[in-house]
Amino acid sequence: MSLAIAGMGWVTPLGNSVDAVWERLLRGDEASATPISEQLADRSYSAFRVPESAVTGLAHPRLRRASVISRFAATAGLEALQAAGVKVDSQNAGRIALIFAISNGGVIYTKRFYRDVVETGAQSASPLLFPETVFNAPASHLAAILGVTGTTYTVVGDGAVGLLAIKMAEDVMMDKSLDYCLVVGTEEIDWLLCDAYRRWRLLRSAPPIEPFGKQKRGMILSEGAGAIVLARLPRRSAAEAGEGSITIECAHPGGCYGKRAEAEEILKRIVRDLSQVEVDFVISSANGTFIDQAEQGALEQVIPDAVTYAAKPAVGESVGASGLWQVILGVQALRHGELPPVLHADSAISLRLARSRMTVAGARRAIILNSGVNQQVAGLRLALR
Amino acid sequence: MAQLSSTTGEKKPERVAVVAAGVVSPLGFGLAETLNSLRRAKDCVTTVTRFSVAECRCKTAGQIPDERLLAGPNKNQRAKRLHRASHMMIHALREAVMQVPQFEPELTIIGTTSGGMSYGEQYYRSLCRSGNLRHAPTWIANYPAQKPVIDAQEEVLGVSVPCQVIANACASGTNAIGHAFECVRSGRYQRVLTGGYDALSELVFTGFDSLQASTPEKCRPFDRHRAGMVLGEGAAILALENLELARKRGAPVLAEIVGYGISTDNFHITQPDPSGVGPRQAMERALQSAEISADEVDYINAHGTATIFNDAAEGKAISQLFNGVPVSSTKSMMGHSLGAAGAIEAVISLLALRHQFLPPNINFDALDDRLDLNVVANESRPAVVRMALSNSFGFGGTNASILIRRVEA
Repeated sequence: MSLAIAGMGWVTPLGNSVDAVWERLLRGDEASATPISEQLADRSYSAFRVPESAVTGLAHPRLRRASVISRFAATAGLEALQAAGVKVDSQNAGRIALIFAISNGGVIYTKRFYRDVVETGAQSASPLLFPETVFNAPASHLAAILGVTGTTYTVVGDGAVGLLAIKMAEDVMMDKSLDYCLVVGTEEIDWLLCDAYRRWRLLRSAPPIEPFGKQKRGMILSEGAGAIVLARLPRRSAAEAGEGSITIECAHPGGCYGKRAEAEEILKRIVRDLSQVEVDFVISSANGTFIDQAEQGALEQVIPDAVTYAAKPAVGESVGASGLWQVILGVQALRHGELPPVLHADSAISLRLARSRMTVAGARRAIILNSGVNQQVAGLRLALR
Repeated sequence: MAQLSSTTGEKKPERVAVVAAGVVSPLGFGLAETLNSLRRAKDCVTTVTRFSVAECRCKTAGQIPDERLLAGPNKNQRAKRLHRASHMMIHALREAVMQVPQFEPELTIIGTTSGGMSYGEQYYRSLCRSGNLRHAPTWIANYPAQKPVIDAQEEVLGVSVPCQVIANACASGTNAIGHAFECVRSGRYQRVLTGGYDALSELVFTGFDSLQASTPEKCRPFDRHRAGMVLGEGAAILALENLELARKRGAPVLAEIVGYGISTDNFHITQPDPSGVGPRQAMERALQSAEISADEVDYINAHGTATIFNDAAEGKAISQLFNGVPVSSTKSMMGHSLGAAGAIEAVISLLALRHQFLPPNINFDALDDRLDLNVVANESRPAVVRMALSNSFGFGGTNASILIRRVEA
């Protein structure tokens, strides 16, 4: 089953809205890293953050006490629905599914809640904060804002979760009573996350992210949200689903690796499955960690001639949101026939990287690879009809 | 596999068999111990020992003893580092796979709410105390929600199977089974492993205590004196397979999943719509999905947390849809295991169908005056059970119901 991408929404450290972020990426802009510190420790980290002003326009009562992760999600979700021309009302509220991709979830409120417990005891635990610590809080808020009454799922996982959520959307859309599925990936940053990734030797202290670097110096975390509206092709009008529309042509179920060394083999299988037809370029999830070598190995062995683009050096590793970001990038590149430049890539890297703004005019198909650092990998293929 | 309907030309949905099941919960390790505890109406809720509850109103939970959970052969260094949740998943999956050793899943769909939360707590506490963070990489590596699923697959199946982890709060387990059912029913998959898990953690325990949702007393679902829930923990796995294929290869068919309903009510992030509209829609959709009427249901395993609001909304919805169907909340015996609850309760419903009895709702004195329910009070009892409905509802207004049918041997 092919699903058309009917609308997209984007909240990133490089700005809001699909066209604005795309323009900045094409120009070769890189998000500004800001220091992130914590009373608990002297060490501070660098992260790519979304400016507070980017999500202050939402005034729904459900977001009054919500953490920024829910605001990011609502902003991106509403933009995607608007772009798709979908207005949720009581007539169609049950015909729209909502699927969220999340990795770390509401970590800011989770830490605040538990800090109160640790520092002043269980009696200080906040009943207002606790519900916001639950993984499905952002989905619940957006469902309430929209009035969605039917299928709502929150899928959790690592950096691959965005594409796993899209795969799930494809399965969910087998239900003929559904017209659309809004898939949202969202994430927020806290010092605690940076510290955890650093202890796991996956984070570097300051930019840049060097994709496919031999040194594997690590990633810089970022935050925000990405959203796409999926529509079943046969239900759409010929004009909507006709020439120029972009479809999820093949969503791979993905795989799990036990040891890091096994990631390349699984990625190879995924790339092989997705490249059964001619593919014009690849949107890689290279983030400066061990996963880059796995992706590079798989690409070099299966489709060595494919042009590869990696956005994380420009926008950071947004984990739960990253898969949706990469899909949005793939759609934009197919639509506009251009790829932005890959930043901070060593000239010795043997992959065919888009080292400067590059035309891919006439491109019809793209592979999106989404490799997580916690054992999950996924991929899908986009097609321009 | 999929056949075309002779009248509409549309693909007929596939039938979905449960070919194996595994469970670990406060009721016991495995199907046999669970059945025994259910029949004996055993109260498995005990004083919390895993962390201090001195400042909490509630002091009890359904707990799985570590001396059994972590015991056993082949406990190498890696196994020792795994989170308790991974061990629960390994126990449940191992029991299921022993029943169908040749089962090769294409996909795993599991529900949870908190992954390896207690490792996150240890990490944070060590940071606060400027304590020893030598184990931090292990805690962090074992914290993610997908880790226990991948650990269990590696340990028991020895293969990597793609996995989807659903975190829809307390409805997660039923959502996972329901989505897995839809995946097989649509013909897109032939074999899917599904279920749920959750391990008790201080953060979640304190959270429910802060909401005053948990009780210092006994858990008394649907009772007029109910005062709240107690938490629990555990894991359960169901192996689902295209029924026709399962029969062809001679696999045991324990039961058939025939319907799934999901709904979202947007009333409040922690409270259900008091009208019961969310639960009612989930149950109605399950009945529609199964193409059966409400009077074909013989037993309802209720969500039944014993909070004032949940039981009122669920009870209202049940009495609007069903006429005197026996209802019990087995959370009264083992606590509310959150993401595992729907999966464990699906296994309990399966046992009710296989062994023709009604699991009990213990600690029950008298029905809430505002409810009209036929509660299976305090003792299990023999009954003809051909169709069971299992409900799960969660924070964020997520509601899920599944229907399971007895299959004659």
